[in-house]
Amino acid sequence: MGFPRRFRATSHRCLTDCSCTSGHTWDGKHRIVNIDTVTLFFALLAIALQVALVVVGVGFAASRTFRATVIASIGPLALWAGAAIAMVCTFGSLYLSEVAKFTPCKFCWYQRIAMYPAALLLVMAAFRRDGAVRRFVAPLALVGALISSYHVLIERFPNLESGSCDPDLPCSLVWFEKFGYVTIPVMALTGFVGVIVAMLIHRAWDRSTSTTANPFSVPTLS
Amino acid sequence: MANSTQPTPRPASKTPSHGAPKSRRTLFLVLGSAALVVALGVVAVVATKSDSNSTEEVTSGASIESGNVTVTGAALVRVPEGPATDPAIGAKAPTLTGLGFDGSAISITPGGLPTIVMFVAHWCSHCQREVPQVVKWLAAGMADGVDMKGVATSTDAKLPNYPPSSWLAGEGFDVPTLVDSTESTAASAYGLDAFPYFVALDAKGNVAKRMSGELTEAQFTDLVAAAKA
Repeated sequence: MGFPRRFRATSHRCLTDCSCTSGHTWDGKHRIVNIDTVTLFFALLAIALQVALVVVGVGFAASRTFRATVIASIGPLALWAGAAIAMVCTFGSLYLSEVAKFTPCKFCWYQRIAMYPAALLLVMAAFRRDGAVRRFVAPLALVGALISSYHVLIERFPNLESGSCDPDLPCSLVWFEKFGYVTIPVMALTGFVGVIVAMLIHRAWDRSTSTTANPFSVPTLS
Repeated sequence: MANSTQPTPRPASKTPSHGAPKSRRTLFLVLGSAALVVALGVVAVVATKSDSNSTEEVTSGASIESGNVTVTGAALVRVPEGPATDPAIGAKAPTLTGLGFDGSAISITPGGLPTIVMFVAHWCSHCQREVPQVVKWLAAGMADGVDMKGVATSTDAKLPNYPPSSWLAGEGFDVPTLVDSTESTAASAYGLDAFPYFVALDAKGNVAKRMSGELTEAQFTDLVAAAKA
């Protein structure tokens, strides 16, 4: 029968012999893994990052001293910060799809394509202290942020995608929403913006220290 | 053996290391971030501990969210993509027999009265927007003379807005509603292609019109007219 594949495949994966409720998975031993806890944790991390980004953004615009302090403080750690953000996003998305069994839609996959390599590149670059990675990671994160933004729009305005729901689970499907606005693409967007800001801070630190500490060094990223 | 050559220097990093970062500041940032992450984890665990208990109670209710559906008759072909003519028009619709949310027997038997069957999925945002509209149109008498039936299909406890019984009751959708099986037997038998999905059956039980997606008031009127024709 020509019926959507996922229609059969995803329905009631865990309803065989437990009263599986939203937020729990059945692992075969009646050991309950609370997905609500993990998703709330991810949402809190996203909000913490959002707050940090707003503080940095406002501080940069308002105070030159603040800017210099942030660049001097976070700059040396910016590659590690970007790597941490990207790794949390990577393992978070893997958790949501492989453990929580939230089926990724096509826009989720596009965002993964941007985030996963960025995570790997950033970890390697952080170990090597190789700021040239910014040239590769920043465009990836920018493209990912644009896709996340569109995904957020589709969640809010489903008619942008279509006037009906695809039985194969449309991208307008909101798997969970915390604090009234934190959804999976919102968290992804936060992660991408966090990586971009980390790269910008590292670039600023790189330039400031390159010119002061080593006047003969070559700028790494224009 | 003496090494006559100097060890190969590591390729210079594109970025100078700039020396070690100030250790105290670095330590403060790293430890502060780690403490924040741990604190957020504790908050998440504590905040969801009470939720877990209450969630179990919600699902221990008596409502049936999915059940076996018996299909009698030939299944309808799936709605074709694009503007192609629907090949199911004029075909005899199959009879669906199963249960309602309260466990009572419900049958969608084509023939007799003109009928509109509405398929909805609790997680579908378009269904969530359409159901209140349909409730309003029914209250306005737009479907008088038509037997309206619902099918709650593609139900999945993992997906949002679960369970469908609570959602539809909350919307005032008092249309007799069949709960579909976990394999979406009823939706498959009626050739569903997208949600929400409407099938208009004439008095002979033949398919008069099939539509999917959010309907406008005019489209719903056309659907009712097709069933009555």
